[in-house]
Amino acid sequence: MNALSLWCLQLKVMFGKELRQLGRDRVLLAFIVYAFTVDIFLAASGVSLQLKLASTYVEDVDHSSASRELASRFLPPYFQLQGELASERAADAALSSGRAMLVLTVPAGFGEDLARGEPTHVQLQVDTSNAVLGFLAASYAEQIVARFGLETVDAGKTPLPVIENRTRVWFNPNQEDSWFMGISELLNVITIFSVLLPAAAAVREKERGTIEQLLVSPLTPLQILLPKVLSMTLVILAGTALALFGVLRPCFGVPMAGSVPAFFALTALYVFTSAGFGLLAATVARNLAQAGMLTILILAPMLFLSGAWTPPEAMPEWLAVFTHFSPLYYFINISFGLLLKGQTVAALWPSVLGMMALGMAAFAAGLLRFRRQFG
Amino acid sequence: MDALVIRADGFGKRYGKRQAVSDVSLAVRKGELFGLIGPDGAGKSSLMKAVAGVLRYDSGTLEVFGTDMARDAAAESVKARIGLMPQGLGQNLYGDLSVEENVDFFAKLRLVPDAQARARKEKLLGVTRLADFRARPMKQLSGGMKQKLGLVCTLIHAPELIVLDEPTTGVDPVSRRDFWQILAELVAEQGLSALVSTAYMDEASRFARMALMHEGRVLAQGQPHEILALRAGSVVSCVPQEQVRARAALAANYAQVEALGPCLRVFVPGLAREAAESAVARLVDAAGSATAYDSGEAELEDVFVALLAGSLAPTDAGEAAAVPAAPGKASPAIEAISLARRFGDFVAVSDVSFTVREGEIFGLLGANGAGKTTAIKMLTGILPPSSGGGRIAGVDIARVKSRIGYMSQAFSLYLDLTVSENIRLYAGLYGLSRAERAARLDWVLEMAGLQTLADTLAAELPMGQRQRLALGCALVHRPRVLFLDEPTSGVDPVGRRAFWDVLFKLSRVDGVALLVTTHYMSEAEHCDHLALMFAGRIVADATPQAMKVALEHDLGALYEISGEKALAFAPVLAAAGLGGVSVHGRSLHVLCRDGARLAALASEHGGVRVRARVLTMEDVFVERVRALEKEAGR
Repeated sequence: MNALSLWCLQLKVMFGKELRQLGRDRVLLAFIVYAFTVDIFLAASGVSLQLKLASTYVEDVDHSSASRELASRFLPPYFQLQGELASERAADAALSSGRAMLVLTVPAGFGEDLARGEPTHVQLQVDTSNAVLGFLAASYAEQIVARFGLETVDAGKTPLPVIENRTRVWFNPNQEDSWFMGISELLNVITIFSVLLPAAAAVREKERGTIEQLLVSPLTPLQILLPKVLSMTLVILAGTALALFGVLRPCFGVPMAGSVPAFFALTALYVFTSAGFGLLAATVARNLAQAGMLTILILAPMLFLSGAWTPPEAMPEWLAVFTHFSPLYYFINISFGLLLKGQTVAALWPSVLGMMALGMAAFAAGLLRFRRQFG
Repeated sequence: MDALVIRADGFGKRYGKRQAVSDVSLAVRKGELFGLIGPDGAGKSSLMKAVAGVLRYDSGTLEVFGTDMARDAAAESVKARIGLMPQGLGQNLYGDLSVEENVDFFAKLRLVPDAQARARKEKLLGVTRLADFRARPMKQLSGGMKQKLGLVCTLIHAPELIVLDEPTTGVDPVSRRDFWQILAELVAEQGLSALVSTAYMDEASRFARMALMHEGRVLAQGQPHEILALRAGSVVSCVPQEQVRARAALAANYAQVEALGPCLRVFVPGLAREAAESAVARLVDAAGSATAYDSGEAELEDVFVALLAGSLAPTDAGEAAAVPAAPGKASPAIEAISLARRFGDFVAVSDVSFTVREGEIFGLLGANGAGKTTAIKMLTGILPPSSGGGRIAGVDIARVKSRIGYMSQAFSLYLDLTVSENIRLYAGLYGLSRAERAARLDWVLEMAGLQTLADTLAAELPMGQRQRLALGCALVHRPRVLFLDEPTSGVDPVGRRAFWDVLFKLSRVDGVALLVTTHYMSEAEHCDHLALMFAGRIVADATPQAMKVALEHDLGALYEISGEKALAFAPVLAAAGLGGVSVHGRSLHVLCRDGARLAALASEHGGVRVRARVLTMEDVFVERVRALEKEAGR
């Protein structure tokens, strides 16, 4: 048997072993399937950053036709009128108990002032415990009130010149949160498993002592680690396919505008290179529990700095620099580019290169540490 | 009749579907050191936890101090009178606390008044010789010291009954002897009752009474002589010229035949010494001749194995016959040449040289940290030596990986793979061709007796079968050299003997060179040649027999003193200047150069019998290491 075919046989045997071991671990398998299906489904359908049916109350002191007209403009899908409140105190209570998100107070004389064409006021109280929703509610309500004001003025006088803003929404025409959230969650899940699975597979050998048995056999450290990473990459790609074709496309209509093969090829590259972080963790950890905690430590900054939750532009300047050290940052650019924007790989080269550079460095570091520890 | 401390009747415990203990009846008397002996999984721990009141049981009755332990409230009331030391080195202690802080913590936990706690602590730390280490964090203690500290913490509230679960497992032989000595003193002095378990058969003699447990049942119980009487017989040993053939001839007639280096040791049930010796001689002479016949009374382990196995089926280890073993003339298979390894300033191994020939079983002995594992790692090519080198079958150790077999501690198998998947994995890793892979799979399955279990997960095998599977995996590529790192821990004695039969055949018939590292001295007896390591160096290199002879020359022969007044004889011996006395159950062991003087003292004292005992490798090891430690300490 020549050297190359021996090398391949050893790799094949190890590869088969890794897949078998994973196949026997029912709990881990169930967790993988859950993460790539149910978890992504929940993230895509449950988490929404849109204002929907905000609970709205009106404290109408004026009782004029104008005040009724204004209140009636707070309509679904954004707002849901729940009823009237009799007093200021009732308004406070509704807000602090959480029954109301918005309370619109129309003061006495509102209708008369409008009819006379004099400036007048309404009061809007918004619960902004959830900053995003509160901000949205306040600005939508402001728009409604402003438009009402303009129209009332229009009715009496000659029209003023108005600039009309016509918005075109690209890449996600219905502005579906489910697309963004679903894909983000998929990328997070891919990241978590690409670090966790190789770390677990490597540290399990250490824990059981089987690593020694492998080291005395004619295997190089690369031959021990490579099959782990390859088999886990395969599993994660299968999970990704399940999530894309089993959840995101049929349930949420995610378009997959760009090349699907290119997406899978780049995902494979991402998983393979991120595994380096997992191998690093495995060389430090002594048992599975330690490896688990270490991977959390590695994953947290990777996820926070990726831009999945906060765009780098919104971060403090010094922190934004570090986003370039999260491989997920590049992978997110690539994935949204391919799945939503329909970009070609050619246009994504800078991101691909950045991801490869980081991943290769991590993989090399993991291999080197492993070699030093056991070589 | 002394008062009963523990009385179990029909005791049973199950975990889910598995019956861990069934129908155990035993009684422990006040002031008694009672032993539970059995391999892993025999049910010892379950019984002990129930006695300590920390485990509920399912059937039968269990009374401790006359209190029914089935009722939680009642069990709670006797807990103050019990001390439990669970299994595992320092398992009940806190690694970051110092020796003294650990003891103080347990005293506070048990609400011992300060003045009493202080007095007891000083006394116990003194007895266990831990007083000098009181400020040292527990995790930096050696295994033996951890166990002694565990004992101190168990005794700090002055319990009347202590329950020690395998206190000597994983502890080196010197510390083990030390531990037993201290325990025997404390039991005698304070009128303690103790229930102690062990997986080492050779520790059985330490107990006044014992129960032998196997698979959840008690096979036998009583005093040592009562148990010996269950399978009366003699042990004959000889050095045959053609060991393989002689072994086959004996194995056809006797269930228990062991190869110990060049010797054969046979247990002949039912016959007295002379009759047994001539019966063995008849069989051996038919298969060549033999020299150096010796015989003695059966040991507890022989009886245990006979009881465990019912009747052990004769093994076919010598079947393939022919090839006479001649380790002395064969070519060298393993050569270590001035091997050395440093980790920073620490010298783990220095200037280690030895040679193992084809067909030889070579034992590398030493306490934990003596450098055995580092030496074996260098020879297997895992760890590059700092200086020196070695050759395996004439090839430099840097390039030997495909030529050697290695079986590591704890049988590192993939538990989530089946038996045949494990074998195929290693066959593939060593690059065996397809046809060869199939052939070797069959061979390993047959050798390990696992034909019907090929598709069973390794995790479901009992330890003995796991061990043989691990051996099979190490042998799958037909290595000429096999390294075994503490290969029989946790395996029951029957499995252990079957395992050594396989090793015997490998060395004698197939001519494989075996290097075994161990701190189980009973394993050392099987080796043709031994090297004793201490602090990274080889301090003795000889055959087991030669080592024993040398010790006898230096310190004298080993005598056992038994009889009603045996324990009272100890101070007499000390007064006469005969040191090195150790307590074994109700008898004493003493090393003495002047047998006549000992006999005279004994007849003067009266009520004791003196009988010569065969030195074991453990005696050799402990005495040598103690001497070296004394030297190093100076």
